[in-house]
Amino acid sequence: MSTTVTEDVTETPPGGEASAPRGANWTKLGGGVLGMALVAWVAANLFLSFAYYPGWFLDSKILIGILALVAGVGGAAVLFYFLNMAIEGLPERVSQGLMPYAYLLPGLGMIALMLLYPTIQTINYSFANADSTEYVGFDNYAAIFKMEAFQISIVNNILWLLIVPAVTVALGVIVAVLSDKLSAQSEKISKSMMFLPMAISFVGASAIWGLVYAYDSPGEIQTGLLNWIWTMLGGDPVTWLQVSTARLNSLLMMVILIWLQVGFAMILLSSAIKGVPEDTIEAARIDGATELQIFWQVIIPQVKGTIITVFITVLILVLKVFDIIYVLTNGNFKTNVIAVLFFNKLFADGQAGQASAIVVILLIAVLPALYWQVRHFREEEANR
Amino acid sequence: MKARARRSLAAAGVATLVALTATGCLQNPNEAGGGAAGLEGHVDNAQTDGDKVVTILGAFGGVEQEAFEESLVAFEEESGIDVQYTPDSDFTTTIKTRVGSGDSPDIGIFPQPGGIAEFVDDEAIQPIDTFLDYDGLDKTLVPGFLEFAQFNGRVYAAPMRMAVKSVVYYPKKAWEDAGYPESFDTYEDLTKFANQLKAKGETPWCMGWESDQATGWVGTDWIEQFVLNGAGPDVYDEWVAHDIPFNDPKIVEAFDQFGDLALTDGNVLGGTKGILNTAFAEASLPMFDAAGPKCWMERQGNFAIGFMPERITANLDEEVGVFKFPRFADGYEGEPTLVGGDYAAVFNGNDEDVDKVMEFISSPEFGEPWAASGGWLSPHMTFNANAYPDDVTRKIADMAYTATATRYDASDLMPKSIGSGAFWTEMVRWVDGQPSQETADRIESAWPTDGEEE
Repeated sequence: MSTTVTEDVTETPPGGEASAPRGANWTKLGGGVLGMALVAWVAANLFLSFAYYPGWFLDSKILIGILALVAGVGGAAVLFYFLNMAIEGLPERVSQGLMPYAYLLPGLGMIALMLLYPTIQTINYSFANADSTEYVGFDNYAAIFKMEAFQISIVNNILWLLIVPAVTVALGVIVAVLSDKLSAQSEKISKSMMFLPMAISFVGASAIWGLVYAYDSPGEIQTGLLNWIWTMLGGDPVTWLQVSTARLNSLLMMVILIWLQVGFAMILLSSAIKGVPEDTIEAARIDGATELQIFWQVIIPQVKGTIITVFITVLILVLKVFDIIYVLTNGNFKTNVIAVLFFNKLFADGQAGQASAIVVILLIAVLPALYWQVRHFREEEANR
Repeated sequence: MKARARRSLAAAGVATLVALTATGCLQNPNEAGGGAAGLEGHVDNAQTDGDKVVTILGAFGGVEQEAFEESLVAFEEESGIDVQYTPDSDFTTTIKTRVGSGDSPDIGIFPQPGGIAEFVDDEAIQPIDTFLDYDGLDKTLVPGFLEFAQFNGRVYAAPMRMAVKSVVYYPKKAWEDAGYPESFDTYEDLTKFANQLKAKGETPWCMGWESDQATGWVGTDWIEQFVLNGAGPDVYDEWVAHDIPFNDPKIVEAFDQFGDLALTDGNVLGGTKGILNTAFAEASLPMFDAAGPKCWMERQGNFAIGFMPERITANLDEEVGVFKFPRFADGYEGEPTLVGGDYAAVFNGNDEDVDKVMEFISSPEFGEPWAASGGWLSPHMTFNANAYPDDVTRKIADMAYTATATRYDASDLMPKSIGSGAFWTEMVRWVDGQPSQETADRIESAWPTDGEEE
């Protein structure tokens, strides 16, 4: 290697300023590029042959699957090996500058491909017609803002945003504080019970609560829990999820999400509360503070960071709320939200343009919350 | 000089490899040639032709898949062709993806002919007149069935299963004990009878619309029935094709007529709340209540038998009676029947094996094992009726075989944004109290303008 380097340095005008930095190593560079191309070629043809000549692989889907896995993971590793080699072959200064990017770029490229590209394309399509073949300017936005369903959805989304995160955090704090006062054993049990709903999918939870809100005609046996209680108290059975007065149906569906999320809030808040130094509470007690004063003026300020984190996480979740409404009412009876409206516009109506416009609005609505969250995390880090 | 030589060697190596990478990939051995489906040309897919394997993608699975495969056993043995059926509950999306990515099956079985239209535009489907005996089919099929799959003047798919949607079910034992009539000449007679039931303190109709995200489709079937029977098949066709607006007075009238039936107090079990909160699959259960029928009639498709309790279906002919939803005295004069059907379409037009399979599944001979297992009706009038498991099924099949006008479920033919969108959701609002005119107006305003959607 040493001979090559010196020769290169003397012979190549651009790299030949000094002898200290290593110049280009053409063997390595060429070999690396050659290797990369070879690997790409072999891998590409292997994958094509899976599709075109399954007979070569005994028509066995399992064999093809295993080969694909080996070739995919192994190929990527070999490709990086040659990439590394090629870059090492470059002049040292270039090589050092390029090396981190060589490893970062594929990842960044994937993120761009999977995240950035669809985002930009969605914004692009929001200005196009129903099957994205022609630009229509702001027609889609004009159409959705005129749409009654969209206005209902916005109102509902705001209601969800105002109610769910706040109630979730409040309940989470209460449960965390109260369970902290229990004996170790009962604390474990009560916390597990609270956390259990977290393991249930949104659709599953909606099915469970669908039974709670179920309706049977008056005089029949009430299979819905709520109606059963209601009729025991002397009322007539109510079609709970169809009562849009005071948005009762939306509120009842919010209960489901709160039920699902309180466990998550409680776990995080509980560990934060346990992290509150005992001596600060001790000091407050000695100063004669009541339990309530200790809670509000000693504990809460010290877990504020966690409260905000939980609040924002639930907030973003609520902005995307979809499953519960889709399963229980499909947006009927004035319960629509942006995500369900988008889904129906795209998949039921085939209106890609308007659906994209709705998503863009949702994206714009999420941005401030995201920004707030990122800024909050930075502050947290800075305070540490 | 050594280094320079090495450098140029590296450069040359890179250049050749880049060229190799760009051009040296495997070529598809089954590349579609041309693909245009003119009279001469054939549409083709990536499947190997003539290898005695035919792939079919369809929407039905489970018991229906078993019955379908059983119906093919004899044919497979005789012809040596291996038919590989793949069910996909999300058929509509899957078939789009697979055709778009060049991985189309040999045959696709469409639950609605409307889904075929876009593939016709893409020239991905072979018209059936190039490989099936069109006139032969036309003679034995229930009139209209080929027209449902006609696009730009040519028929692109063959029916392989029929659904009848104009069926009214009643609990036979209690019905006969009470001495009620077995059928009704006109809808007016039926209304009169329903009012008599009501006067006796009984509830005439069972109805359940609840179907999760799809709630509302039961209502669209009702409206279709009223448009077909009241305004007649010609208006029905204009309505489907949007040659008349959705809020045409004749359509609004159908809403009002249906409203008299469904929204009048005491006509339907549970009232409007009951309609929206009863699952469509459970609507018939109160008819067979142990304490006697809580409601007496349900209008639903032939598939509804599958939702009845086992003690009823085990003894179907004795437990369940059926009659066709009657014509209107001042409406269409013939015998109208609302139908549905599954359609087989070919994506591989130059494979003889595929043609043979299509010939078989579109023939009147196909389906006897499936018919025997229940829930399947042949669209051929010449089908061996003895293969049906019971008289109820035979009677239901006859409703289509003897009809003078059959029309396909309109909501399946309308643009998606109406047929599985606004029409459904507005029906729910309508039951919830929205006036007929406003309902029709709102659906009309949701109708996609030209060019906005296919």
